[in-house]
Amino acid sequence: MTLDDLAFHLNEHAGAEGTTFDAVVTENDILEVVCSNNDEFPIHITRTETQLLSVTPLFSIAEVQPGKVDELNATFLRLSPAVPLSSIGLQGQTYILFGAMALSTRFDVIAHEIEVQAENTIEVLEAVEHLLA
Amino acid sequence: MGVLRDMLTALKGGANEVGEAIVDANAIRILEQEIRDAENAIGSAKQSLTRMKASEIRLKRDMATLATDAADYEKKALAALNAGEEALAAEVAERIAELETDRGEKATEQAALDAEIHKIHAMIKSREKIIAKNKRELDKVRTVQELQKATASVSKNFAATGSTEHRVSKALERVKAKQEGWQDRMQAGEWMEGQEAGDDIDAKLRAKGIGGATGGAGDVLARLKAKQAAA
Repeated sequence: MTLDDLAFHLNEHAGAEGTTFDAVVTENDILEVVCSNNDEFPIHITRTETQLLSVTPLFSIAEVQPGKVDELNATFLRLSPAVPLSSIGLQGQTYILFGAMALSTRFDVIAHEIEVQAENTIEVLEAVEHLLA
Repeated sequence: MGVLRDMLTALKGGANEVGEAIVDANAIRILEQEIRDAENAIGSAKQSLTRMKASEIRLKRDMATLATDAADYEKKALAALNAGEEALAAEVAERIAELETDRGEKATEQAALDAEIHKIHAMIKSREKIIAKNKRELDKVRTVQELQKATASVSKNFAATGSTEHRVSKALERVKAKQEGWQDRMQAGEWMEGQEAGDDIDAKLRAKGIGGATGGAGDVLARLKAKQAAA
């Protein structure tokens, strides 16, 4: 499934809990998806030859309270097993929440994963909000 | 190989600015070219392997024919000996010797070919494993590149300077407010459905003639008349 196909299907789709999606393929060939259950943190989907990657940039290191980066990292490591469908990582200076799916993944499963990632983003951010500036 | 280790080294070395390539694009192209070359080499090796296998099969068939011929001549030589035809038997024996020499040569050739086939086969298998490993490594690099691409497009908006204070908190507040609004609308919707389904408890009570309801103009008039009588 190409990113354009995925965008088309997502825009037509409604999740089990009524979640809808706004999906646009950007100039850089990234599919930007805004889920109605969390429209503040869009999910960026990209693909390699074998997998689809869904990335939610969370915040930059500069947004962490001074001296709290170690505590934040430790919190993220503890949180990670609680959100097994999404991983937490550091890309450059940006903390990200991300997931990976095989290219052969069925559309309804992809849509569900995106919905879950949007929800996980809120939960993860709530858990570390007190460490952010 | 250790592509991941190399990438981490690059990151620690400072190649971690947003938008800066962790892995040199040239290095990726070289890795891709190596994989393609190795695949092409394996393709030609498989073709020659097929040709060699065909030669080996033909040699085996020739050897079998030579053995059958030799056995056939042996019977004939024995028959000649039994018939007292010593000279003829000697001629046949020579023919048998030729056939056996021929067979021996083909057997040597076949053994050498068989060894070569096994060697090439093992080489193809091992090259295929290396290619599969290289492909996995390449996929790791591409994954990191794609993650970087996906992150970079948004990160530019993030506060590297701290100018958007409480950005995350404010965004979370907005999301939660929307979710609450959505939940309120859901509840309102359920209430509406309940109303439409005659689920209103007051309506049920009224239906049974209990509580709440005013008696309308008739009651008011009766009350006024009662006041008038009392006055």
